Amino acid sequence: MKTRTEALLKSLIVLWMTAVVLAGFLLDIPRISILEHTARNLYFHVPLWFALMAAFLVSAWYSAKFLSTEDLDYDVRASHAAMVGMAFGILGLVTGMVWARFTWYVGTNKWWNNDPKQVMAAVQLMIYGAYFVLRSSFDHNAKRARVSAVYNLFAAATVPFLLYVLPRQFQSLHPGAEGNPAFDEVTDPVMRLVFYPAIMGFIALFWWIYSQRVRLTLLERRLENE
Amino acid sequence: MNSHVKEIAWTGSEFVLPLQSQGDSSQTTGVETAYDSIWAAEVPVADPSPLERIMLAEDKLYVVLAVVLVIWFGIVAMLVRTDRKIKDLERRLSDEGLEGQSKTR
Repeated sequence: MKTRTEALLKSLIVLWMTAVVLAGFLLDIPRISILEHTARNLYFHVPLWFALMAAFLVSAWYSAKFLSTEDLDYDVRASHAAMVGMAFGILGLVTGMVWARFTWYVGTNKWWNNDPKQVMAAVQLMIYGAYFVLRSSFDHNAKRARVSAVYNLFAAATVPFLLYVLPRQFQSLHPGAEGNPAFDEVTDPVMRLVFYPAIMGFIALFWWIYSQRVRLTLLERRLENE
Repeated sequence: MNSHVKEIAWTGSEFVLPLQSQGDSSQTTGVETAYDSIWAAEVPVADPSPLERIMLAEDKLYVVLAVVLVIWFGIVAMLVRTDRKIKDLERRLSDEGLEGQSKTR
């Protein structure tokens, strides 16, 4: 990408996310009992998970590309996408814990409530954690790349089940089990005005951090090869 | 401000209050809305802790602030990590024959 386009894109991301945060706090929404203002977390907690899914998709894509081309640069991309995706997932878990603790679990001191989606998300992060454990057990770059690419494709295959299919089989604080694909019936349509841009913003944020890491590692590799 | 909702916000529901005396709210469980879920109904509600009193003020707006701050700190952590990687790279570059140009080393 041209440097100027990139700079322009990044300033756009900054403006975009600023607008998302401002609208997230300032846009008036109906006040629902229990949920109250915490409904606004829809703009922050949920897009983190969308960014995680985008990240894991990118990661799987480059793992597949590595397997078909054996180009080690793709392995670098796959591992950094998974790494940044995991970071977003940890933030997603922590924000979810804070949200539930002070909304549905007031007076119980319960930070972890074993909500099906919460548990499955934690399992999901462990599956990707194992990807990095696996990576660290190889000294040889090409071997590490090949084995971890195969594992990564399996890990990616579990994502739709752990984050969509399974959690919806149980009653949960998360919407979805009642047959509605994404929103609860109490979600006000006006919230979509901030929610969708927030998803785009968080995915863009992922891309920014991920591309920084990739560029750094590629530079490092070039230095090693000289 | 909506003072009616605010003063009873921590009990979880505005429908709970009329059913019981003001002084004894420790037995409250609420099952009124879709978001009052089976999970919340299982557990007895105790008096709000100081932390809860802060978080539940302004119709729980500070919960959203806390979530945004968590994300902000996460981004800061990633920035710091990137910084460290850059520093490693700089150090290696200066080790490989660029010492003369680097004042810090």
